[in-house]
Amino acid sequence: MEEARIGVFLADSGGQLSKILDFESITEFLRGIHGVTRVQRASEFWRGDGLKKIIDAVKSGEINRVVVAEGIPKIGEIAIAKSISSAGLDLNFVEVLDLKGHCAWPHRDSPREATEKAKAMLLAAIEKVRLSQPIEKAVFPAVKSVLVIGGGVAGMQAAEDLADMGFQVYLIEKEPFLGGLAARAVRFFPTDDCAVCIQSPTSDLKTVTHTSRKCIYRSGISEIPNLQILTNSRVIKLEGEPGNFKVTIEKKPRYVNDKCVACGLCASVCPVEVPDEYNAKLARRKAIYMNMPVVYPPLYVIDGSVCKFHECAKCVAVCPTKAIDLNQKAETITLNVGSIIVATGFKEFNPSVIKEYHYGEYPDIITHLELARMIDSFGPTGGRIIRPSDKKEAKRIVFIQCVGSRDRRWNPYCSGICCMISLKHATLIKEAHPDADITICYIDIRTTGREHEYYYEKAREMGIKFVKGRPTEILHDPATNTLVVDVEDEILKRFLELEADLVVLAAAMVPNDGSEELAKILGIELDKDGFFKEYNSKLRPTETKMRGILICGGATFPKDVPTASLHAHSAAVKAAKFLNEGKIVKDLRVAYVNEDYCGDCECCPVTCPYGAISLVPSGNGHFVARVSPLKCEGCGICVGTCPVGAIELNHLNSKQISAQIKALLSVNETSKPKVLAIYCSECGGTALDSAGMTMSYPANVRTLKVPCTGVIRAQHIIEAFKAGAQGVMIVGCKPEGCHYEAGSQMAKKKVELTKALLAAYGIEPDRLEMFNLVYIEGDKFAEAARMMSERIEKLGQLVIA
Amino acid sequence: MIFVEDKGEKSNSDFIKNVKEMLGGETITSCYQCGTCASSCPVAKTTERFNPRHLLRIALLGEGDEILSGDAIWLCSSCYNCQERCPQKVEIAEVIFALRNMAIRSGKIPQIYIDFANGLMNEGRVVPVSKFVEKKRPDYGLPPLKPAGVEPLRKILAATGFDKLISKKG
Repeated sequence: MEEARIGVFLADSGGQLSKILDFESITEFLRGIHGVTRVQRASEFWRGDGLKKIIDAVKSGEINRVVVAEGIPKIGEIAIAKSISSAGLDLNFVEVLDLKGHCAWPHRDSPREATEKAKAMLLAAIEKVRLSQPIEKAVFPAVKSVLVIGGGVAGMQAAEDLADMGFQVYLIEKEPFLGGLAARAVRFFPTDDCAVCIQSPTSDLKTVTHTSRKCIYRSGISEIPNLQILTNSRVIKLEGEPGNFKVTIEKKPRYVNDKCVACGLCASVCPVEVPDEYNAKLARRKAIYMNMPVVYPPLYVIDGSVCKFHECAKCVAVCPTKAIDLNQKAETITLNVGSIIVATGFKEFNPSVIKEYHYGEYPDIITHLELARMIDSFGPTGGRIIRPSDKKEAKRIVFIQCVGSRDRRWNPYCSGICCMISLKHATLIKEAHPDADITICYIDIRTTGREHEYYYEKAREMGIKFVKGRPTEILHDPATNTLVVDVEDEILKRFLELEADLVVLAAAMVPNDGSEELAKILGIELDKDGFFKEYNSKLRPTETKMRGILICGGATFPKDVPTASLHAHSAAVKAAKFLNEGKIVKDLRVAYVNEDYCGDCECCPVTCPYGAISLVPSGNGHFVARVSPLKCEGCGICVGTCPVGAIELNHLNSKQISAQIKALLSVNETSKPKVLAIYCSECGGTALDSAGMTMSYPANVRTLKVPCTGVIRAQHIIEAFKAGAQGVMIVGCKPEGCHYEAGSQMAKKKVELTKALLAAYGIEPDRLEMFNLVYIEGDKFAEAARMMSERIEKLGQLVIA
Repeated sequence: MIFVEDKGEKSNSDFIKNVKEMLGGETITSCYQCGTCASSCPVAKTTERFNPRHLLRIALLGEGDEILSGDAIWLCSSCYNCQERCPQKVEIAEVIFALRNMAIRSGKIPQIYIDFANGLMNEGRVVPVSKFVEKKRPDYGLPPLKPAGVEPLRKILAATGFDKLISKKG
């Protein structure tokens, strides 16, 4: 490679920095460094004339490496990078550092030491760019096609959004019909809309207007040209890379084809009857069935687990359109998609495990889903609220809240929507049957959404009774076939025995079946409650740690319909943003493997938080690590983990780290004992930034930036001590807030290990410490820096044999 | 039961901190006052003097004197119904044992417990055996009662500080 001709540009922020730093001395120092061909001073370099000077020097070929000490480093870095990149210089040859916030400002009381530190910082930046390698830009394909898993409210909305935007969308549903859990809920709060109503597509379809919502069967969702709906289907395999996934789908046979006219003759002759799951087992259905009179697809389906097939085949004989094919087999379909949206929803908890509530034992104890089917006029009771035991009308109804939720024995979280479901159902029943005697036993009523509190008000106005107290048991009096709810009214401090015809359990909402399996197939995570976990719950609520795989709706946590819709639209935007260009252009600021050293160990594939590293055969019976440049986020946790140093970062290799450590500790004019603070460029770095704005800390604390503290190896720390550091601080994100998931925790372990190593070498382990800080903890950084300085002074000069 | 050094209650928040440090008292702060314990409690349904939810509530508010001087903590029958059903896994019966231990350590011991303790130390039995019972034994084919081996028991009670504890009537 061409020899480095380094230009160093020093901004003095309108002369403010030169009040503290001795720029003459710094300039002289820089001019003495091999390869530095230009040193220039100006007020600022990130815009205007200053920036033009850098660009001209680059364009003329005078310099091929740039070091800028800027007063506004963060915005400045972006602006400088943009211009230099368009001038044709590789960005890895540019280093922007902050002589103001990381040196002059916090050390204004000790200008001599600050000047000394500035020299060390500049020297480190120079050594870093001197050893830099150009970074390639790679282009990856992004197939403009999306797979949406789950045909409930969230899945349908996300699919529709993306199809309307022109993406090819595949919407798959594991059940034979679309609609999911919400379609069984009769009505939605807070609008009391029908549950089968969804947003209608905006595509140019006759009779469909974009202003309204429509029932699923008349929304036109099935007629969007680039939306393909696959029911009875599930994902069984995922291959490929973000932007270019290959997904294998297993489609169970329906045994009924498109010729079906939904006349129902087949069901009328079918001899097999089983409990109807859709109607919460309150009714029975045939082996050939449809959930509801109006569903999508409007085709009957045969339940293969109970049908007698050719032994019977009565349905085949009566079907007027010859739509039944008992020989249909399961199909395997492979889809090529750029992005995947998981919208698999949640389900109702089965409360039979709570023995004292006797669900499943006494038939008149039901859940909300079962009650919803009763309230539905299309449902098994035609809208009548009955006691399942004797089919008589239920007049006295008791609701019990928090059944299996907010319960550490089962699900410790609050499901969030059950209070509103109870209020909705109680008011719906009371409206239809004003003489119904309804009591809701609650621990806390949670009505936090828009207009939700009005539901609570309405319920009280209608005469629904509220008892604060969680019942201990539901008893059954066989003589009168009456249930008795044993509860303490806490407000009265009085024990009540509430007689009831029907008891409704507001059971928890829990992760859907198959979540664990799907997460494993897709390589994404579940949270501790079993819901799909987002990359960052505050700012990236639909993204997962796997690029291109998004999550939305109840799959991430129980949600009401408005919230699930909102989440779905958000996921659709993220998918569109990811695929919109049809390609993914990425600077390869990633890890690479030196295959000569690598072999047969599984450290890096296991520790990579992004699943970006796999083991591949190397040809001679051994395995070597291979990095997916698309999945790699460039944190360097693998570098910190590799026992033989076989993996490196393109944008910061070990040689550069070593050279910077040496440079930072080599300038030692005041011979004060030095502390080296290695900080990550995320939260840890921002703590330094904020400390530098208004606080002060000792100038003998020299600072080195790395992408993530996970990159640090014990060897780097030992190198620092050998190079003259008397103490080493590692400054990273909070363990739970690490921007690369596991880096901070890895660093913590490494620090503990290195402390033991230091002790074995006879070096006081107290010379090394890790700090986990965020932006608003600048004061804590300043305090930590002071503490470490004082500590090493107490410990005295470190002597390494 | 392990006896922990009494730290004394200075303020309201100290009280609950001390309860949590007691063996059995650790889970008290998980209570969210749902009342499952109260409706599970056979004692609460017979007397207003005892209600486990109410007891925990007062304790959580830090009213140590009221709890330790009152009779409520001594009325629990230790049936564990509440503990089995508590959705927050508060070990209610264990918490009440912890509160009793705190009461004993501050010298607030109901006379009946002192009688039990003395019986244990002097006779080796918590419940004294009456002459009437002793006379009846042959009728049922039971041998006469042997005196309990009090000496080893006394050694244990002395080593654990039990003897001093029960004489700490305050």
